[in-house]
Amino acid sequence: MAQTFLDSTELVLNMGPQHPSTHGVLRVILKLDGEKVTGTECVVGYLHRGVEKIAENRTYAQFAPYVDRMDYVASVSNGLGYCLAVEKLLNVEAPPRAQVVRVILTELNRIASHLIWLGTHALDLGAITPLFYVMREREDILNIYEKYCGARLTTHAFRIGGLQYDLYDGFEEEVKRFCDIIGPRVDEYEELLTGNRIWIARLTNVGVLNAEDCKAYGVTGPLLRAAGVKWDLRKAQPYSGYQHYDFEIPTRANGDSYDRYIVRVQEMRQAVRIVRQALDRIEPGPIMAKVAKVIKPPVGEAYVSIEAPKGELGYFVVSDGSTQPYRVRVRPPSFINLQAVDRMARGSLIADVCAIIGTIDIVLGEVDR
Amino acid sequence: MADPQNAEAKPKPAAAPPAAPKAPASMAATPWEDELTRRLAEQYPDQITEFSTYLGQSFLVAKPAAVVSIVEFLKLEADFDYLADLTAVDYPKRSERFDLVYILYSFARNERIRIKTRIADGEKIESVVGVHLTANWLEREVYDMFGIEFANHPDLKRILMPDGWEGHPLRKDYGILQMDNRWVKENLGIESGQ
Amino acid sequence: MRRFLRTVFLIDLIEGLWVTFRTQHPRNICTDQYPRERPKIAERFRGAPRLNNHPETGETLCIACNLCAIACPEALIVVSSERNEKTKRKELTDFTYDLSRCMFCGLCEDACPVDALELTQDFEIASYTRDGLIWDRKMLEEGPRPARYKF
Ligand code: SF4
Ligand code: SF4
Repeated sequence: MAQTFLDSTELVLNMGPQHPSTHGVLRVILKLDGEKVTGTECVVGYLHRGVEKIAENRTYAQFAPYVDRMDYVASVSNGLGYCLAVEKLLNVEAPPRAQVVRVILTELNRIASHLIWLGTHALDLGAITPLFYVMREREDILNIYEKYCGARLTTHAFRIGGLQYDLYDGFEEEVKRFCDIIGPRVDEYEELLTGNRIWIARLTNVGVLNAEDCKAYGVTGPLLRAAGVKWDLRKAQPYSGYQHYDFEIPTRANGDSYDRYIVRVQEMRQAVRIVRQALDRIEPGPIMAKVAKVIKPPVGEAYVSIEAPKGELGYFVVSDGSTQPYRVRVRPPSFINLQAVDRMARGSLIADVCAIIGTIDIVLGEVDR
Repeated sequence: MADPQNAEAKPKPAAAPPAAPKAPASMAATPWEDELTRRLAEQYPDQITEFSTYLGQSFLVAKPAAVVSIVEFLKLEADFDYLADLTAVDYPKRSERFDLVYILYSFARNERIRIKTRIADGEKIESVVGVHLTANWLEREVYDMFGIEFANHPDLKRILMPDGWEGHPLRKDYGILQMDNRWVKENLGIESGQ
Repeated sequence: MRRFLRTVFLIDLIEGLWVTFRTQHPRNICTDQYPRERPKIAERFRGAPRLNNHPETGETLCIACNLCAIACPEALIVVSSERNEKTKRKELTDFTYDLSRCMFCGLCEDACPVDALELTQDFEIASYTRDGLIWDRKMLEEGPRPARYKF
């Protein structure tokens, strides 16, 4: 830019890595013209742990707990993706009972992830109250996880070929009770936010990303749906029996932050719908497919992706026929969605940058792996 | 903390890979043929060496020089408008050491294909950022992790590792406990990160 | 018009405040008063490891098969054993478990053929030193002894 407003020179401002609204350790270098953002650069990698390298030095079963540590807000989805990828290589499918339980747990996880997103995003924009409420609801989900598999956050809930743990007594009632309360609770959040003038003013027309841009940047998940593309891997390429469930893909037209908020709230409601249907589908049966104790897939490669709460989560696994994966590549939705920050923030005000980072729903553990 | 338990457990993984070299050759893939492959074969008669399907997932193997053009052709002519992922696999025993893998998806067809190409260490490949903007960070990551350079990339530098780091961690000859000791000493002021 | 009235009378804000107000009742407080009240831990919770002894004889159940050490992704379990000349069986001599690197994934527990190794509901395993996190056989058999506070 040759001439800036009032002849001011360009100001470079460093945001992060320790900044509360970057959701972790993300560093954004902002180029500013007054209050206007003229360019951004994200510096990531502060949380890099070399997950893909670790995978090459572990057996297939041993690597499963590590994937939970990427997107730790949605660890169950991570585990599902990995298990499906290895199952694909082995050419086995989890038994129906295991699939139903997987669906229930991943959908609960989607709700939990969206709840966290909602709470932190609202917090970024100055609304503190929703955070306490969403944490309360998330607690119920985590309690279900704790009772089911013994851990709350890094669950390691699924195993390759099915499940390790069968349902505990009272699981169904507990999930049903949760489904009953979450609906009104989501209404409550909507009462707090949807019509709230501050919320609307802070979000409408902020961080707009239209469908074309989304595709060019590879942006998936709620961001893509908020831009009007009715695309959800659960429908497009169903896995784990999603084709049997009746649910809708919420979409919006504008592709701004407000639309993403609406889409995510709707997704929570749809997730509850799926969980209810899944509860009816639970039937007795085995929970583990026939998988050898030592997992040794034939030589080959497979790319399997699932609809994680944040977008398309893909695993590209290459096997060389040994007990350890030759290569595991994770396609992290946060990492790729984060790339679009520059496009969204350019031309907006500096105060909106927090909203834009928040609206993507990133988890730095997944960005940096 | 140098950990004796860990150190003694690690040699085992190192011993496992001998099965590796024959990996790409013996994948039990079947030929892939449909209307799309015919069009591609027509367009790029001697650039594409293989059309295969494995576990219901189709991929083609192309010469590195043609990759950008194929990706563009697929985007414009066949609706493969979404580059889902771009990554690499290292086969150190091969003369063309790396497999670059492009995973493409088409919203219109609801289809996923992979483009694979082989390049040698030190060889440059044309960047696909001009076709798919998302390749920007993905190529940076491949460069960071494998040391594969992309020509005409707008901003090719490390992304996950620190800028001054030496070595490319996802290469097979980079040990899991290995690190850039000089960098660690200079920047963190400690002898070792272990 | 309706919109205008809503704006003038701050209906949207009042609606929000009403939600806040509804949850003010003390009955709705959900904070745990730890350590005064100890939380209920689920039965399957994966916490501090324990090496079980036979409930009657008091002898260890572990047969020193080393399967847990092989299963562990972090390779943090070291089982040492000795062959007993009389019974011709391996007998456990020592068992080290490095909690500082454990991620409580439960793979070791699943691998154990005789349910000797178990991840229990004890969650108070913090230590002031790194060495304090490396547990030996004695510690594993007895379990952690967290401080109990008096009120
Ligand atoms: S819980 Fe997991 S990490 Fe910890 S010792 Fe057992 S197998 Fe190893
Ligand atoms: S697997 Fe069980 S029996 Fe075998 S060494 Fe470990 S604790 Fe002992």
